[in-house]
Amino acid sequence: MASCPVCDADVETADDTVVGELMTCDDCGCELEVLSLEPAKLGEAPEAEEDWGE
Amino acid sequence: MSTGTPTIGLLHSLIRKDEKMLLDAFKRFGVKPVMIDDRKLIMDFNSAPQVDILLERSINHSRALHALRLFESAGIRCINTHDVARVCGDKMLTTCALTEHSVPQPRSRVAFTEESAVEAIEELGYPVVLKPAVGSWGRLLSKVNDRDAAESILEHKTVLGSYHHSIFYIQDYVEKAGRDIRTFVIGDECIAAIYRSSEHWITNTARGAVATKCDITPEIAEISLNAAAACGGGVVAVDLFESPAGLLVNEVNYTMEFKNSVDTTGVDIPGKIVEYAIAEAAK
Repeated sequence: MASCPVCDADVETADDTVVGELMTCDDCGCELEVLSLEPAKLGEAPEAEEDWGE
Repeated sequence: MSTGTPTIGLLHSLIRKDEKMLLDAFKRFGVKPVMIDDRKLIMDFNSAPQVDILLERSINHSRALHALRLFESAGIRCINTHDVARVCGDKMLTTCALTEHSVPQPRSRVAFTEESAVEAIEELGYPVVLKPAVGSWGRLLSKVNDRDAAESILEHKTVLGSYHHSIFYIQDYVEKAGRDIRTFVIGDECIAAIYRSSEHWITNTARGAVATKCDITPEIAEISLNAAAACGGGVVAVDLFESPAGLLVNEVNYTMEFKNSVDTTGVDIPGKIVEYAIAEAAK
């Protein structure tokens, strides 16, 4: 369990969650990135950059 | 040549659903990849993290491009290679490669000034599509229907864009009946295909297009494999237009996204990628 850095809601992490993973806060809808696992810490996901893609 | 379980590096930045599916596939194959976050990577031009092979999954094209070159310089084989990333990551270079290998594609032009771009657009005939040479997910595409729009968009790109937006890549607008085809090529096999349908002329799933299964005809397989080979091979996704003149290659993508295509096609795309990486690592 970690806190959403935007709205402070609890966000569930799973057993297979990895650092760097994108998650969405169910309460505020913000896209989040897993910054660490022990302890679980979330940050706001970075904004898309011009060269992002496939 | 490696013995035993190969060491596979996974170059990544954010872990999206696609990368999670790859991690799950690695687990199924009993391989624990070495996670290499491009945001923390420091390369010294002599060495690289010791892996048998590197599977590139960076979200930033520029980071992927440079990292692949540095890994290869340090003697690490990469999927895809730096050359494939360089060619696929730049639409102009992709067009060059497809042209050199006689792979059918929409007519296109490149021009370097607003004036010559207008001339090129009118040579192709309206409507045309203006695309940034480097870009993805259907962003910053412009369908140009007339001269007024052409002049305005070219001026905006010149004045407001960084310098590479003034390398004008112009493509025929292809009437595609609301859909295009995305195929997935791994090595010498076209493993899956989807239709991407949208009421909008841009049919990227990142822009809301709906994916449905597409049966791989011999024609689809042939043009997809030819396009992949023209760009250097490996693991790529090929976007096709169904034109009255036949299939045309629109783009070739070197860090393909597949999260919407596994259930749609019933093909274990991440599993096939991992299987390919393991086989390549063993060579």
